[in-house]
Amino acid sequence: MTSNLTNPMNLNDSLDVLRRETVAAISEASDSETLAAIEAGAVGRESPIAAARRSLGKMAPEERRDAGRLINDVAKELEALVEERREELRADERAAKITAEAIDVTVDYTRLPQGRLHIIQQVMDEVCDIFVGLGYHIAEGPEAELAWYNFDALNTPPDHPGRLESDTMYLDYGKPEDEMLLRAHTSPIQARYMETHEPPVYIVAPGRAYRNDTIDASHLPVFHQIEGLAVDESIEFSDLKGTLAEFARQFFGSTTQVRMRPHFFPFTEPSAELDVSCFNCDGGESSCRVCKGVGWLEMLGCGMVDPNVFTAVGYDPEEVTGFAFGMGVERLAMVRHGIDSIRHFVDNDVRFLNQFPG
Amino acid sequence: MRVSLNWLREYVDLPTDDVSELKRAFDMLGHAVEEVEHFTAGWTDVYIGKVLRVAPHPNADAIRVTHVDLGDGEEHQIICGAWNFEAGAVVPVAIPGAVLPGGFEIGTRAIRGVESHGMICSERELGLGELHEGIMVLDDDAPIGAPFESILALPDVVFDLEITNNRPDVMGMVGVARELAAWYETDVKYPDVTLDTVAGDPRLEVVITATDGCNRFVAREMRDVSIGAAPLWMTERLRKAGVRAISNIVDVSNYVMLEMGHPMHAFDADAIAGDRLEVRWAAAGETLETLDGEVRELTGDDLVIVDDEGPTSLAAVMGGARSEVVDTTSRVIMEAASWNPPTVMYTSRRHDLRSEASARFERGVDPNLADDANARACKLLQEIGGGVILETVIDEHPNRFEPVAVNLNERTVQRLLGTGFDLARAESLLRRLHLDVAVGSELEVTVPTYRPDLTRPADLVEEIARLADFDTFAETVPTGPAGGLLIEQRRSRLAHNLLRGAGLIQAINLPFVAEEELAAFNSDTVDGVAPLVVTVRNPLREDQAKLRQSLLPGLLRKVRENRNRGLETVALFESGRVFFAQPWADDERVPEQPVRLAVAITGPFGGEGMGSQSSLADATTALALVRNLADGLGVAIERRPGTQAGFHPTRTAELAVDGAVLGYAGELHPELAEAFEISGRVAIIELDLDPLVADQPSVQMRQVSTYPHVDFDLSFEVDIGTNAGGLVAATVGVSELVESASIFDDYRSGSGERAVAIRYRLRAPDRTLDSDEIAGEREKMINEAAAQGAVLRGGSGTEAQ
Repeated sequence: MTSNLTNPMNLNDSLDVLRRETVAAISEASDSETLAAIEAGAVGRESPIAAARRSLGKMAPEERRDAGRLINDVAKELEALVEERREELRADERAAKITAEAIDVTVDYTRLPQGRLHIIQQVMDEVCDIFVGLGYHIAEGPEAELAWYNFDALNTPPDHPGRLESDTMYLDYGKPEDEMLLRAHTSPIQARYMETHEPPVYIVAPGRAYRNDTIDASHLPVFHQIEGLAVDESIEFSDLKGTLAEFARQFFGSTTQVRMRPHFFPFTEPSAELDVSCFNCDGGESSCRVCKGVGWLEMLGCGMVDPNVFTAVGYDPEEVTGFAFGMGVERLAMVRHGIDSIRHFVDNDVRFLNQFPG
Repeated sequence: MRVSLNWLREYVDLPTDDVSELKRAFDMLGHAVEEVEHFTAGWTDVYIGKVLRVAPHPNADAIRVTHVDLGDGEEHQIICGAWNFEAGAVVPVAIPGAVLPGGFEIGTRAIRGVESHGMICSERELGLGELHEGIMVLDDDAPIGAPFESILALPDVVFDLEITNNRPDVMGMVGVARELAAWYETDVKYPDVTLDTVAGDPRLEVVITATDGCNRFVAREMRDVSIGAAPLWMTERLRKAGVRAISNIVDVSNYVMLEMGHPMHAFDADAIAGDRLEVRWAAAGETLETLDGEVRELTGDDLVIVDDEGPTSLAAVMGGARSEVVDTTSRVIMEAASWNPPTVMYTSRRHDLRSEASARFERGVDPNLADDANARACKLLQEIGGGVILETVIDEHPNRFEPVAVNLNERTVQRLLGTGFDLARAESLLRRLHLDVAVGSELEVTVPTYRPDLTRPADLVEEIARLADFDTFAETVPTGPAGGLLIEQRRSRLAHNLLRGAGLIQAINLPFVAEEELAAFNSDTVDGVAPLVVTVRNPLREDQAKLRQSLLPGLLRKVRENRNRGLETVALFESGRVFFAQPWADDERVPEQPVRLAVAITGPFGGEGMGSQSSLADATTALALVRNLADGLGVAIERRPGTQAGFHPTRTAELAVDGAVLGYAGELHPELAEAFEISGRVAIIELDLDPLVADQPSVQMRQVSTYPHVDFDLSFEVDIGTNAGGLVAATVGVSELVESASIFDDYRSGSGERAVAIRYRLRAPDRTLDSDEIAGEREKMINEAAAQGAVLRGGSGTEAQ
């Protein structure tokens, strides 16, 4: 039947038949292979269309033009339909593949390594960053330290109980007159820093500190402190309060309130303890597990730098004023994260450490 | 310091009863309230009664039948098992319907056939103390028929205050009252210390030879004192203060200590040998039996009071058993002495005898308080125990303390507290503390001797700030210069984060180790002993007396502990200081204490897919981590075979930066793995952190070539011990066109042959490489390899991409 295409007398009718049959076949083609076969059969090299084209040469010139246009029109139409159908089939196949390769997103098929910084490290870095944002540098210093920096430079009297072997750990090292110890706080860093830097000074000093305490739920012989020091021409008490309030809001939450209470430290005068409002209950609940209904959480010690400290490091107390503060990193972590025993920090149980992302 | 509110009111009129307001006042005065305890009557329907008659019980020998007057005109028949009273005694009586502490209900019931309408109560039954041998016998003048609690100052509130070490004056009720009086701007009512005395000299003289240890020694002698129980009002106050009642003589000395803040000691005058007491330093080895029955060996740093037979009291800390007040005491030496605070501190700690008295002496008791406190004690003892007070007072006073004058100018106040504090405001605040203030161009403040903490202008500024109420200060933030992390600090954090990103968990360990542990990772031991060890003079435990020289023992212990908790993979790192007993380059005065970084990993480690296990950590893991650190920190870390104590002898690299050894990476020595009880291989690294995090020159961009690359592989036969990393470096070194090179196969035959296959990628910055050029580069590399002793086995084509 399609061979009739080479017969000009029947060309019109034959093309029409081919067209109709092929159009129907294209629309019924259900995969790209079938479609390719239909395409080849209709317009391919061996197809009736190709044969018809080849036969055009035998036609009279006046017939050739009309017949050629007729053949081309049908060929173009069929090719376009094939292409259209091919796109449809491709889309179907893509959709089928996508459906078939579905995964269950609730399953961990692959796990990449992910470690943790120790929660103490995290808190230390975070506190330091808060103070960096307030204009502070970070200063560090030796842990095996001269008693002079740990006590004398900080206005600690020679008979202060903190100097007793029951409180402070001493080292057998060096000359007897340069008594050596494991620093009992990170304040020696402040004294060292002031010795080697002119005011203004805005530093925080993070690090380990040592006390002769047996391990229990609230004591470790080694713990971490962050001490801060600001020395400038006109530092006032309100600057201390405002700075620590800003710290507390950044660390515990933006609605945190602070309260200072008078206290005593040898290296500051006036001295104070800083309480922060309970972040858990905002100071409102008598059953609060964090503050036990007190509403305030005792957080750190602070005060205006004692003039004797300035003198010891070569600053003129008539020229500068300053404030200092010191906080226990373990305490900050315990309070904010509800950690019930300080022992967890040195147990290094991976199941504990992994709980704190960061 | 436990402060009963009812007792406190004796010395100051408080404008409020509100507990939270008072708590705030204490807190803001700097005497933090650690606890608020409410005292209430733990009973209902207990009344004061008078026993009219006592008769035997008809059916029982151990109990008696009493008739009691409860002020209602009736006689109440009550059965009682106690025998410490007779008719006429005034007693607490629980009537039928009463409920005693513990929910114990009292009713009318028959006891062995006789009806009992209530119960006469003991201390313990009322929750007032431990005594249960007899019932409570009250003062004869107690009001019959009144509720029992009406004579007990109940309800009451006790504030437990934390008194800072610089405030001896607040260690007594009077001092506490003085603080509240300053807060509320009111007056203090001081206790009565006027005495009725009789002429007479004490039987003793007192000599102070240790004048550097004793500031003052005041004593009075009392005669014919009747020893017995102290009255209920006093024992109740002691109870609320947390002090156990003992006898009127001892209770009075405790009471006055709590009231005035000056400790007191009562001797039995007849038990003192001879007629002379001496205060002297103890001789080393001397012994004294203290009140608690302990025989204590003394040192030359202890102060003792001695009589003719030797030490009779450990001065300031505890009396001696020999001169203790006993049941037969009637002649009493009441002593109020003040001692050098450090001496008391050392003695009380050395003998582990910390007490209410030592807590006061350590803060520094005012010697000028001694006479009033002593008189107060004698007065009270006379009131409750009778007897006479001899007129002549023993008063040795080797070290006199005088009030000090402190000048304070306006600038000093304003520099610290702000311009809101002019001289007039400062003056009025200081006057509230009852300080003597003279006003001129500045303030001249005379500080009484009970405030040894106020010696300098800054100390007065604190008082001004305190009374101004810290809550009234504004919150301001100073505008200082810009802050920031130092480069080394930023890079240290980067090092932490690189390890964290690689899947390691940071551990923090204590730096104390035993001597034996030091040797495990120290290659310089002599006869098994590590050199340059820093020793703690006063360690917590003898097996924790040394400071670590390596982080690995601590980490490995934690690896084992986590393994024992059932974790298959344990991957830990730590950064921290290690210590060596030699001068530190950073500061020659202190021991060397560099910061180290260490890693320990065991078990499957790395990425993990379902069904495909990650490989077990081993030396290659350690090397990969070193590579991570080097690439992440931008530091070239050289690796070469190395040996180090504790590390596997053939699976360990020595690490170096610029030729200087930095540390080691590899595997734990199998023997140590066994010693640490860790099964399987353990990847370990330990290195000095400082060289890794030191500042680096800024990296300058290299142009990235846009021309095609060429890859080819070369496979070499090498000696089994060849440093193949060096071979790669050497072959790369002869060509300027190598973009990258890596070993992708390292084959070892059973018979000791080894082949290493290297993939090179060549690329020129400015042109497409032609085949002649590539062949030339390849030839140069093969020749260089041959020069290194590596024989070409084969190679792939040079396929341009």
